[in-house]
Amino acid sequence: MVSTVRKKAYDRWFVLLFAAVAATIYLPIVVMAVFSFNSGRYQVMPFREFTLAWFGRVFRDAQYFSGLMNSITVASAVSVSATVIAFLCAYSLVNARFPGKTVVTLFVLAPLAVPLILIGIGLRLYFVSVGLEPSLALVYAGQVLYVLPLAVLNLRNRIAQIPKSHEEAAWALGASRLRAILEIVLPSCRFAIVATLIITFTFAFDEFVIAYFLTNFSITLPIKIWTTLVTGFDPAINAIGVMVFGFSMALGIAAQALFMRKDQRK
Amino acid sequence: MVGTVETVRETSVRRRAPVANLWHGILPAVILMAGFFVVPIGYTVGLSFTGADHGGLTLSNYVTFFTNDRFTDALVRSVLLASAAVVLASVIAYPLAWFLTYAAHPRRRFLLLFLLIAPFWTSFTIRAFSWQLVLSDSGVIAFALTKVLGQPVALGFLYTMSASVFGLALFGIMLMTLTIFSVMVTIDPRLLEANRDLGGSEWRGFLEIVLPLSLPGWIIGAVLTFIICVGDYAVPTLLGGGFKPVLAQLMLSTLKGTYDLPMAATFAAVLMGVVLVSALPLALVRRQVRLQA
Repeated sequence: MVSTVRKKAYDRWFVLLFAAVAATIYLPIVVMAVFSFNSGRYQVMPFREFTLAWFGRVFRDAQYFSGLMNSITVASAVSVSATVIAFLCAYSLVNARFPGKTVVTLFVLAPLAVPLILIGIGLRLYFVSVGLEPSLALVYAGQVLYVLPLAVLNLRNRIAQIPKSHEEAAWALGASRLRAILEIVLPSCRFAIVATLIITFTFAFDEFVIAYFLTNFSITLPIKIWTTLVTGFDPAINAIGVMVFGFSMALGIAAQALFMRKDQRK
Repeated sequence: MVGTVETVRETSVRRRAPVANLWHGILPAVILMAGFFVVPIGYTVGLSFTGADHGGLTLSNYVTFFTNDRFTDALVRSVLLASAAVVLASVIAYPLAWFLTYAAHPRRRFLLLFLLIAPFWTSFTIRAFSWQLVLSDSGVIAFALTKVLGQPVALGFLYTMSASVFGLALFGIMLMTLTIFSVMVTIDPRLLEANRDLGGSEWRGFLEIVLPLSLPGWIIGAVLTFIICVGDYAVPTLLGGGFKPVLAQLMLSTLKGTYDLPMAATFAAVLMGVVLVSALPLALVRRQVRLQA
């Protein structure tokens, strides 16, 4: 451990590089937050007066609100479905022996290596060809596919850490497979499961491309944000951006904290 | 006492056989992948070989694509954009990953990595938009420069290819730092100790140990960054403007504007071809790399 920490003269250049990159990443978010409290109608400096009006407007606008409700509904359903499917898949990938395991693993992870726009357009063209109209139900299906690889990766890594002997002890004591999974495996990775529920919710909540292709009239919040951005500016976007950013960050931090907690309990 | 242990062992061996083959758990995931991923993309590629009247096999869409300068320019532009983003991101992400692995305090490195990754959990669209506030001619940087120089400054940066590259590279820096770091951190420190003990310089240790062993992390990060950038729609629209469209923009305007579905499918098939070719370097990576912090 100690040998990896060597104070060198050039280390400060790396610290500087890191600080510059971090500052670049956070700068626009800070600017957006500042503008969200700016009474000026145009997005130009200098700052005029402090106001909370833009936030109030977001909550009174029926379109933003219905978009938000649609997003929460779809993302919740996506998160639960993807986590259940991913748990079953991850359990089998870790604990079962079958030919072509590597192929199956790569197959399940494949959507990670395909641009979202291809998944979106493929599903759109295919659903239309079988007579399904674009709707939130299709967005749900597409987003389960989108978050599944991530959920499988998370849960597979965690399940692999559970000592095999725990489950074997349960079998030896007469527990069925199902009971051993319910009473040994599930409790052992409960933090990882909750973390996966949260992180898949976040990804589905913020997902825009697949949703844009798969729904026409019932829109989600990211679609509402997008159409507002490209059709004519609304200063309330800053307020929404800040809220969405804060919400996603809070969920992400909660998920990360749960993953860390699991490590300590190992 | 001994008898009990033996019984337990026998039972567990006897019971292990059926449990070890509990492979059925993969079925829901595999069916989902087949039905919502393989079939739709296969259908799309098939559709690209049909005419506008949906009858018979034809290459006419591909002829249209490759003989139209607007389309081929968009293809080249998409590839150039993604390549530039990968190069720029590599130059910054590699030193960052090295810093996190070898120079940052081990107790602090995950916090630093977290700091770098956290903003990317949130909406891609909102992040791209927030850059408009900073980069536009009436944005924060132009304002600051105007104040400092005492005369109006027009940046002329927003709505250019460079702005797109910048936006995409930022995403690439995050992803590639993550993939390179997660490989670099697994390199056995004893290899570097051995190099020092045998009189090798630090530079030589880097060139002959760290660089080759961390290459898989770079390849995975570079390929994923390229693939995500080559198909991106939000950054080229919000930061690049729509005047010089990329493939994804033409695909969407064809789909929503003309309803020429086979032509839209052809754009998708060409993009899929680019993705498949760019994924080839992954075959070089044999080591399993975890794609998470």
